[in-house]
Amino acid sequence: MIPKIESGIPGFDELTSSNDGTGGIPENTATLIYGPSKTGKSIFTNQFTYKGLTNDEPCLYITTDSGYNQFKTNMDEFNWPIEKYLDYNTLYLIDTISDVSEGKPSQSESFIQSYINNPTDIMVKVGSGVNYIYKNNHRFRSVLDSATTLLAYNENMLIIRVLKAYLMRIYEAGGTPIIAYTQESADSIVETMLKSMVDNIIRVDGENLYIEAMKGIGKRSSPYQITDNGITL
Amino acid sequence: MINIQSGIPGFDQLTVSELAEGGIPEKSTTLIYGPPKTGKSIFCNQFIYSGLSNQEPCLYVTTDKGINQVQRDMMDFQWLIKNYIQNQTIYFIDGISHLSGGKFETKNNMVSSSVSNPADLMVKVGIGTRNVYKTSNHFRSILDSLNTLFAFNPDQMVIRILKAYLRRITEAGGTGLIAYTEGITDPKTEMELKSLFNNTIRLDGQYIHIKSDYTDFNEVQTFESDYTITDNGIVVNQNNFKNIN
Amino acid sequence: MKKTHIPKLDDFLGGGIPEGSSILFSAVPGVECETFGYQILNGIIEDGNRGFIFTNVTEPDNIIYEFKSYGWDLEKYLNEEKAFFVDGSSKFIGVPTIGKYSINELNQTEEIILKAIEDIPNGVGIINNLSTLIDYLDEDHVIKIINKLNKKAKANNTILIYIFTKWDYNPELIENIKNNVDAVVSLNSIEERVIIGQGFMVTNASWNHPDNKMVLFFVLQPGGIKIYIPKLLVTGPYNAGKSSFVKSISNESISVDRIALEKFPTTIAMDIGHVDHDGFIADIFGTPGQERFDLMLDILAREAVGAFIMVDSSAPQTFGRAKEMINKTQAEAIPKIIVANKQDLPGALSPEKIRDAMKLDDTIPIVPTIVIEDNGVDLAMETLLKQLYGD
Repeated sequence: MIPKIESGIPGFDELTSSNDGTGGIPENTATLIYGPSKTGKSIFTNQFTYKGLTNDEPCLYITTDSGYNQFKTNMDEFNWPIEKYLDYNTLYLIDTISDVSEGKPSQSESFIQSYINNPTDIMVKVGSGVNYIYKNNHRFRSVLDSATTLLAYNENMLIIRVLKAYLMRIYEAGGTPIIAYTQESADSIVETMLKSMVDNIIRVDGENLYIEAMKGIGKRSSPYQITDNGITL
Repeated sequence: MINIQSGIPGFDQLTVSELAEGGIPEKSTTLIYGPPKTGKSIFCNQFIYSGLSNQEPCLYVTTDKGINQVQRDMMDFQWLIKNYIQNQTIYFIDGISHLSGGKFETKNNMVSSSVSNPADLMVKVGIGTRNVYKTSNHFRSILDSLNTLFAFNPDQMVIRILKAYLRRITEAGGTGLIAYTEGITDPKTEMELKSLFNNTIRLDGQYIHIKSDYTDFNEVQTFESDYTITDNGIVVNQNNFKNIN
Repeated sequence: MKKTHIPKLDDFLGGGIPEGSSILFSAVPGVECETFGYQILNGIIEDGNRGFIFTNVTEPDNIIYEFKSYGWDLEKYLNEEKAFFVDGSSKFIGVPTIGKYSINELNQTEEIILKAIEDIPNGVGIINNLSTLIDYLDEDHVIKIINKLNKKAKANNTILIYIFTKWDYNPELIENIKNNVDAVVSLNSIEERVIIGQGFMVTNASWNHPDNKMVLFFVLQPGGIKIYIPKLLVTGPYNAGKSSFVKSISNESISVDRIALEKFPTTIAMDIGHVDHDGFIADIFGTPGQERFDLMLDILAREAVGAFIMVDSSAPQTFGRAKEMINKTQAEAIPKIIVANKQDLPGALSPEKIRDAMKLDDTIPIVPTIVIEDNGVDLAMETLLKQLYGD
């Protein structure tokens, strides 16, 4: 039996239920969610994050697309308030994009500044983030939103190597990582590499969500909608 | 021509020919490739497990996942290898765990290397083959997969490592299975890659396509069927056999 | 001249490496190679010089860890600024760089190593690994880099050690690389379907005429590179003290590959030991002295590299049997010495008396010992090593 964690996306855990009747994201495996832009990938990862936080599963969140303010706004839009989790230090946010001038909380134990064009620094912060979270809870989630921006700012193969190291660290600590990526934003070699590095692949195209691969189950798909409460299958 | 059991239900029946009973040609090299997530690693693990169950030793070079993850992945299919690790029927070379930061505890049959240090990797392969060869002059060897090697080395270097590796295990009498994800190098490298192997197996998610080059008989055999990934691993379906010659 | 601190290598090189020279360690894939660079660096720094390690294959942390496994303290040298890294690896995998210099872009490699050379006049630089540069840069470019580095090193009296793995390169390229360094040490594998041994030999050196002699080696952790003598035989008449000799000469806890052992039936009692002596390690086999085991002596002698013939100096009546055993090993023409044991017993004959009694010529040394007191045992080992490898 493969242990699963709740995705937080209504309908998703049912869609992914295996022979033993359990559904969700297989714990301690890596997931890639990809698709064209504006199809809800970030909403999916945010929903996944929020579910974890409300379940007492801490989350290491690396944001490369929206700075803290934008991220908070995005979460608020669906009524997923995050401040208290930052205060509780169960949300560990590595912000690689916020401009210094932007109004953002000062660095704290669980709000860390890094730089999108410095993958080495990001990895150092990931390392301490994992240690920080691992101290308190061996079951945690880790979100990278998104690989697209990292790839855009850096040499592609370097990012592939860095992501490999990132995934190894999360695996080792028992976490469940999910990576968002905009389809065809990098060349096909890089895209194939990304897919080969993860265990599960979810594609969204605006109408349907496809489980292209997932540990323990075959291909599945379902139509989805983006509602006021996030993605619903 | 001797073939060894693949351990994959349906595979050995599919690959029967006038030259050999079905299975994987002993002491040959096979590239298993295809798009991501089509069951290549599962195939490798199933192949290994079948050998281990018959007391055939195994040299396992893992570069995509750490030893712990490999063990866990196998456990998903109830392939328990703990005993084989303990009694040293399996020899692991872990080329990736060092990336996760912690120092890796080296034991007799579990050694650490690095995907970015080809010379060291080959030293470990040399020691590994000697260890496995000592217990049996036929063994199975897995390299899963070339992907990470390609991410950490220039393409030509990976080809060089691969040649050295294939030579090493072939000389020791090993049967090698090497995994690779289609599309992570340019078509020219991919062609060169395939040319280094006696056999290729392509998995595309639906069909398994097998090509065996029996050089001694000057004959190429190809087989095709559909397959599914079940809770017990890969099953090659019995109803859609094709021996294309 | 600087010593390499690798056993036998200094002899092969006529004393060591002249300042400002470049030396290529060229290894067959699968043969341990990096340790040569590390051991030389460690030795040369210990002798009071400075050095650096350029790495493009593993992060500096791993190298520090590896040094530790050999029992060498690189961290101390780093802190004392006797050693530093040129880190060409960390940036490549996105981890923080360590070291005085780091390489962010491949095309800086030459320039930065040049700087590093300039920092250590009379020191030593280790380039690990030359092969990894070749497929990143093009072949001609790499040759040009080697030339520039060597030129700089010569001007600065710095020794450069290149670690190179002989993958399936174009033979011309390999030839070309060899022609661009002052000396080449080949690291070869001894194969019998698998690698059963590793050997090194100096194939050329501009300052010396190498004698193309290959020695087997092993890499021990701790310990580093040791010359490996696959089998030394201890034989002699019954009760000459063979078991005690094997026990006395052996060190515990030396793990050497045991493949050789498996060729012999284990039902026959045999004394087996491992010697670690002055850069040499050897597996040592004591044979039973009784005549009914002579067949075994034949088998063992066939594969032995050298032999100790033990005699009880106080028992001349056994010398005939000893002579017989010498003749058995004589057929195999293996270097041997006589160990004249039990010199403390009344009536023990001196080595010269034994030579007369056994009618031996001067080619076979006789070493007096009292094995149970560990007296003369090391001398016996040194004497046999001299027979094997010269002074």
